Amino acid sequence: MNNGTENNGIRRRDFFKALAAGGATAAVAAGCADRTENLIPYVMPPDNIEFVPGVPLEYATTCAECPAACGMVVKTREGRAIKAEGNPDHPLSQGALCIRGQSSLQSLYNPARISAAMVREGQDFKAVDWETAEKTAAERLRKAGKGRQVVLWTTNRSGTRNKFLDQWVGALGGTKITLEPLGQHNLRAANQAVFGRNELPLYRLDQSDLLVNFGADLLETFGNTVRNNRDFAAMHAIDEKRMTKGKMFHVAPHVSMTGANADEWVNIAPGSEAVVALALAARVSAKTGRGGEVRGFLAGYTLEKASQASGASVEALTALADEIARAKAPLAVAGGNLTATAQGTQTHIAVNVLNAVSGAVGKTYLLGAGQEIDNSDSFKAQMDLVARMKAGQVKALIVDGANPLYHLPKSAGVAEALAKVETIISVSSSWDETTRQAHVVLPSLSAYESWGDANPQKGVWSLMQPVMAPVYKVKASENTLISLAKRLGAGAFPADYKTYLQNAWKGIAGGSAEAWKNALQKGGVFSQTGGSGASLRAAGVRGNFAAPALTGDGLVLLPANNMRVRDGSKAQNPWLQEIPDPVSQVVWTAWADINPETGKKLGLRHGQKIRITSPHGMVVTAAFFHYGIHEDAIAIPMGYGHHGSGSKSADDHGVNVLDLLPASFDASSGEFAYVATRVKVEGMDEDAYFVQLDGNPRQEGRGLIQTMTLEQVKKKEPPHHGHHAMRERPDDFYRYRPRPAGYYQPYRWGMVVDVDRCTGCSACVAACYAENNIPVVGRERMWLGREMSWIRIERFLEGRGDSYKTLMQPAMCQQCGNAGCEPVCPIYATYHTPEGLNAQVYNRCVGTRYCSNNCVYKQRRYNWFQFEFEAPLHLQLNPDVSVRSRGVMEKCTFCSQRIMRARHAANEKGRDVMDGEITPACVQTCPTNALVFGNLADPTSRVAKISLWSDKEDEEKQKKMVRQYRMLEELKVLPAVTYLRKVTHKEIEEG
Amino acid sequence: MSAITYADVNKDILQTMVRPKPAYFLVLSGAALMLLIGVLSLAIQIDTGMGLVGVTHPIGWGFYITNFVFWIGIGHAGTLISAVLFLTRAPWRNPIYRASEAMTVFAVMTAGLFPLIHVGRNWYAYFLLPYPNQRMLWTNFKSPLEWDVFAVTTYLSISVTFFIIGLIPDFAAMRDSSVGIRRQIFTLMAAGWTNSYQHWLHYMRGYLILAALSTPLVFSVHSIVSFDFAMSFMPGWHTTIFPPYFVAGAIFSGMAMVLTIIIPLRSIFGLEKYVTHHVLQSSARLILFTSFIVGYAYTTEVFIAWYSGVSFERSLFYFRLFGEFADRTPYSEGHQLGAPTLAFWVMYFCNVISPLPLWRFKIRNNLMALFIISILINIGMWFERYNIIVSSLQRDFDPFTWGTYWPTVIETGVTVGSFGFFFTMFFLFVRAMPSMAIAELKEGLPAPRKNKQAH
Repeated sequence: MNNGTENNGIRRRDFFKALAAGGATAAVAAGCADRTENLIPYVMPPDNIEFVPGVPLEYATTCAECPAACGMVVKTREGRAIKAEGNPDHPLSQGALCIRGQSSLQSLYNPARISAAMVREGQDFKAVDWETAEKTAAERLRKAGKGRQVVLWTTNRSGTRNKFLDQWVGALGGTKITLEPLGQHNLRAANQAVFGRNELPLYRLDQSDLLVNFGADLLETFGNTVRNNRDFAAMHAIDEKRMTKGKMFHVAPHVSMTGANADEWVNIAPGSEAVVALALAARVSAKTGRGGEVRGFLAGYTLEKASQASGASVEALTALADEIARAKAPLAVAGGNLTATAQGTQTHIAVNVLNAVSGAVGKTYLLGAGQEIDNSDSFKAQMDLVARMKAGQVKALIVDGANPLYHLPKSAGVAEALAKVETIISVSSSWDETTRQAHVVLPSLSAYESWGDANPQKGVWSLMQPVMAPVYKVKASENTLISLAKRLGAGAFPADYKTYLQNAWKGIAGGSAEAWKNALQKGGVFSQTGGSGASLRAAGVRGNFAAPALTGDGLVLLPANNMRVRDGSKAQNPWLQEIPDPVSQVVWTAWADINPETGKKLGLRHGQKIRITSPHGMVVTAAFFHYGIHEDAIAIPMGYGHHGSGSKSADDHGVNVLDLLPASFDASSGEFAYVATRVKVEGMDEDAYFVQLDGNPRQEGRGLIQTMTLEQVKKKEPPHHGHHAMRERPDDFYRYRPRPAGYYQPYRWGMVVDVDRCTGCSACVAACYAENNIPVVGRERMWLGREMSWIRIERFLEGRGDSYKTLMQPAMCQQCGNAGCEPVCPIYATYHTPEGLNAQVYNRCVGTRYCSNNCVYKQRRYNWFQFEFEAPLHLQLNPDVSVRSRGVMEKCTFCSQRIMRARHAANEKGRDVMDGEITPACVQTCPTNALVFGNLADPTSRVAKISLWSDKEDEEKQKKMVRQYRMLEELKVLPAVTYLRKVTHKEIEEG
Repeated sequence: MSAITYADVNKDILQTMVRPKPAYFLVLSGAALMLLIGVLSLAIQIDTGMGLVGVTHPIGWGFYITNFVFWIGIGHAGTLISAVLFLTRAPWRNPIYRASEAMTVFAVMTAGLFPLIHVGRNWYAYFLLPYPNQRMLWTNFKSPLEWDVFAVTTYLSISVTFFIIGLIPDFAAMRDSSVGIRRQIFTLMAAGWTNSYQHWLHYMRGYLILAALSTPLVFSVHSIVSFDFAMSFMPGWHTTIFPPYFVAGAIFSGMAMVLTIIIPLRSIFGLEKYVTHHVLQSSARLILFTSFIVGYAYTTEVFIAWYSGVSFERSLFYFRLFGEFADRTPYSEGHQLGAPTLAFWVMYFCNVISPLPLWRFKIRNNLMALFIISILINIGMWFERYNIIVSSLQRDFDPFTWGTYWPTVIETGVTVGSFGFFFTMFFLFVRAMPSMAIAELKEGLPAPRKNKQAH
């Protein structure tokens, strides 16, 4: 199995040291991450800390799933981390986390983690004791000698660690290369060219009223997505006081979740972003009078020319330009893979010009704010390293989390290059393709078991501390490196990395022990960061802005960003495979988005297996008919197609889109060119095996997700959905008898979902998995429809062709007051609690599934098998929630364990629960605050004020409400969840 | 029947129990094999989990509940024939009522297995019984499933009682004609029957009372079974026509099953003298009549779905009849047939079209034609239940959750096993007990007289 509980007896002193290392008593104990602590169950009271069994301890740390470094609070129970939540004190995450952050503990409990030091024996690895492995590694390094032939290949992180690694490599005379598949070198280079500032900008989405997005996946992986989602909602959701609502245009050849949130999609040909941006800038400049210094240059870019190059209509572009000129605080954003072409820097220059002439710079586009989320070396630098390796100039390679064998395209020849290196030492924490090639593996602790920090933005210093005793007896990579350096007699390092970190933090938090303790408690040291504008340098705006040359012929291949598995490194987290992509609703695999028109021309059908061939490689995947893609393009999400990485959840799921790409890059920034080739698409004779969770792409006018225009909100004229007669005379159809007044006292739990704020980011889904011990069922069972998620992002399409709209909303059990499930259960296994929940008693359930059949929302989940949690993932199980056995029904109960905890706490104080004391996991993590939970029976609560629910279906109250609706209201099941209609600028046509 | 004597009756009927032909063992082993398949499938399912069965989200019920309703339906003809036709004094019931009563008992037993089979934790199925317990747990009498528990158990106990009471005079006849251990068993079961006037008097009273008790059950049991659906929210289920529709369907399928069983039985055991064409014709007329009720129900359902204007109902019935009504662009365009469409038209053909030839005397009088039609009706009635249960769950309110259902080997195996169970029981019955009511057959014969003995 897993940890080292099998020997050494119980070293509880050490265990509690590690436990005490964070939180309230951080200063008392000097916990050391490396010493192998044993995970022991709680058996005796501790001697030095306040520790009550059953009461969670929370430690502030930092999320390490992506370089954005959100602050995180990890909840531990009896010494085990069970749930990650956003740190409310942290300026970036402000209490929320994204889908990946919610899944971060799966990196800690990753079944593919390496549990012991290994040395290579032929094709296999042999576990050896740490001392032997370290000695072997040191000897091999000594043999390699000091100098440039020693290379450390690491991943993109910010903070003290980079300085440490530099110092370490420096001591060995070697070089450090940082790999980041989602680098932002183009943007940096463009800022250098246009504004003379070699840095990343800070976007103030929240300050803008018009967002023009050139394909950046702002709400998925681009930058800090938690912050982006929050700021986007601040800008784009309706402000009901001022009756305003920001607008978003998506100007790109592909619509992913971010694009699906846009009000309008301007469908442009891949690579034409620069021309479009410049033409828009020309018109905006003419209208606003800004950008005189480039007006001469812009004269060459007319909207007609842009229309020709992009395929978008002149009218659409004109309208967009006029909107930008009119807007008070417009913001144009480019980024992500769609603009990462061989001309990527030029695209960013063009968008920068647009931002400059629209007045965004200094207002919504800030420089000097010190965005540090990309500290990577460019793709060109990686290729130089590969060339050096191929030439035999690299004798020793230390792999520190980097996985170049997967993240660099096959055509880069990493495999051959690695074969030429005499010594590969991996200090990664889990198995991956590159670590499989190592000679010595000195596995690292995960980020949540070790010390560290992050500095994603100037003024934001976020601390990482071990939140629990290590799962495996291994060492933090930094300590391994220190130990190796000591063996080699190189450099001067303190005893361990924690000391190094503390020394560094003397300059950040202040030198006192008190300051360190405070930083640990709070999660770091945070100060406000400002930013300023910069003037446009006309000299920098030059070069070729035409579409980049592509290899091959056929459709343009767009390697789309992937919200869930990011660059592929998160494919080892099963939740991120199991939770569907909100737009395609596909799970566990890659697919190819094709415009239905293109598909028809090529004689393909949705779901058909297709062979995609570029001059550089071939993959076989599924054709997915998607309106949101240019007719001349095909998009495959990145991050799939792992092989031989040693992780069950990553291996052999889908294809790696990088296999199709040449190793080409932007000449001025060195950034990898994702959009670089055209591909041929051939249909094969069979259907692809891919699982899509939407039963039907359209809602058939049933009003499950409702919209209304801003005008209608202003006039307070809600639209009517559903069957007219059923709304007018509901009693004729489905009779009901409301419960007597005062039935629900003092509590009636309910929720309000603001569809206008929901972006589809799916963080709530991951939070639900984590909180409620929901099993992962895998692709085969999902194929049969047996997903277990208690909350889902429902997605429906409206309209056809380029003007189609995607609607998304979270749907969980609606806790009906007149539920379908309750009366049909023959044995009260599901029943109505006095607090209004449709409770489910697992021990009573025999599994007739009648409740599920009769649930109009189909929100119940059945345990078809005895689902298992692969070790050591089972260590994460929340002890407050029972793990369900097979044959029983399960469902959402608004995190009843949290309700109970809060109720007990309130009762002890002799009062009722107050508004805001309970937050279900989904509500807690929502970055856009789309979910509101509370007590409907308390008319003063936040939720009661905006909910349609009232004790006696108060029609007067209901009539006053404008955006409120309930799903399938005409069935009169009296759901406790009220939805607020999505507000649009233009009316969305149904059907 | 004037040529037949009491002694003939005893001899002819009892010979079915003593001299089975090899063919009998062949059929019996066939049925037993089917039963074995079912038992194995079920064992695997219970060992591993419901996941081996094709039911999924959102189709929580599939083959198992289809089988349950199907077998309950089959179980209706027996009581109808023995009780209702007894009360209405329809003499053609006498030759077939014993077999159909046995059929009822076995069909209800088979049906009763399915609620136990289809639950996720079969070992806790007893939770459904309202037994007193210290945890103060009680059952939910609002749930139609709970009503089922009572409906089915009541029906089973009444039909078993009725069946055994009806057998008492025949047990006596068997006692008189057997020796050894068989004699001892039959002595016990004959309950001291001496064929006395007093016995007959009480016996006929009791029988009448039981018949009167069973008659409402014929109508109530299947009504209650139909409440499983009618009481729910689901489009296609939530409809008031279900109780009469289900009862008519039950009688329809039950009569068809009676013919399916009686026709071969009659030939194998040479009982043409007793099961006359008149008997078969009368059954065929009843089938024809109930077929019209069922056909009317089908039409009404569709009409009301359209007439109500409720979009959920409309799109569901379109889906049942013609396939996909929903807009699935961009995934697929145009019209697509679905498996439920096939099920609907199979049902419609078998239950509404195929009985039509029974209007003609010649067809009613043709054993082979009757047999084929009865088989078709059995198939059609199974598909009727499948159609109701599965297609409603496939296309309910929230289109995001729509799904499809494909049965697996396991549930197909258990379904085959249920037929195996039923036929094994039935074949054992014809071997162990008189498959026709000796005493009541004699009712139709002239009483033997001392001065005019036939033999």
